Amino acid sequence: MSYRERSHFDRPTAESVQRTRRMLPWLIPLIVVQQGSVIFGHGFDRSTQIFGTVAWIAVSLAMLWMLLGLPMRWLSEREQAIVNDERSRAVRGDSACWGIAALILIGCGMMLARLWVPLDAGMAIYGLVNGALVVSLCRYGWLNRAEPAEDE
Amino acid sequence: MNERLANRLKERRTELGLTQSELADLCLVSRKTINTVENGIFVPSTLLSLKLAARLGVTVEWLFWIED
Repeated sequence: MSYRERSHFDRPTAESVQRTRRMLPWLIPLIVVQQGSVIFGHGFDRSTQIFGTVAWIAVSLAMLWMLLGLPMRWLSEREQAIVNDERSRAVRGDSACWGIAALILIGCGMMLARLWVPLDAGMAIYGLVNGALVVSLCRYGWLNRAEPAEDE
Repeated sequence: MNERLANRLKERRTELGLTQSELADLCLVSRKTINTVENGIFVPSTLLSLKLAARLGVTVEWLFWIED
């Protein structure tokens, strides 16, 4: 059994933030599908749909925060520097490119589809935003996948 | 043209008895950054290259070179 001393045991560390970055992107598609069924499902009342929409906006903004690498004030300056080092910035930039590419491709697909199928505005926005977020987060998760062991 | 940035990071680091985590701490970057630089996956900026060379007590030219 090992014991590691931490000065602020109740706060996240750079290590725990990096672990979350690896794990979180793989859960997003599940959350998105679950929220979509609540927002656009026919069997739900108005208040449930409003709750689902607010939850979707909150999750989307949280993902945007992670992708933009906005400051995490609860971390020390040293840990913030480690979490936002230049490789992390490069990974975010790469993921953002994939997200923009997905946005354009889905948009093109929708523009073609609307020639034959009437498109609901809410569905189109949901598809565009989620498509871009899911693709960029999957790329982000892939580039941040588990670290090789020391010296591998 | 198939150029890549080769390095002697691992060689020098082990010579000094440092682990990847210890070197990462010295340069204020994550261990994954050191690992990916060592393996030639990530090309570091001039700033990080200078920091790595300074922490390892060598010149940047000795630490990094272009390989065809």
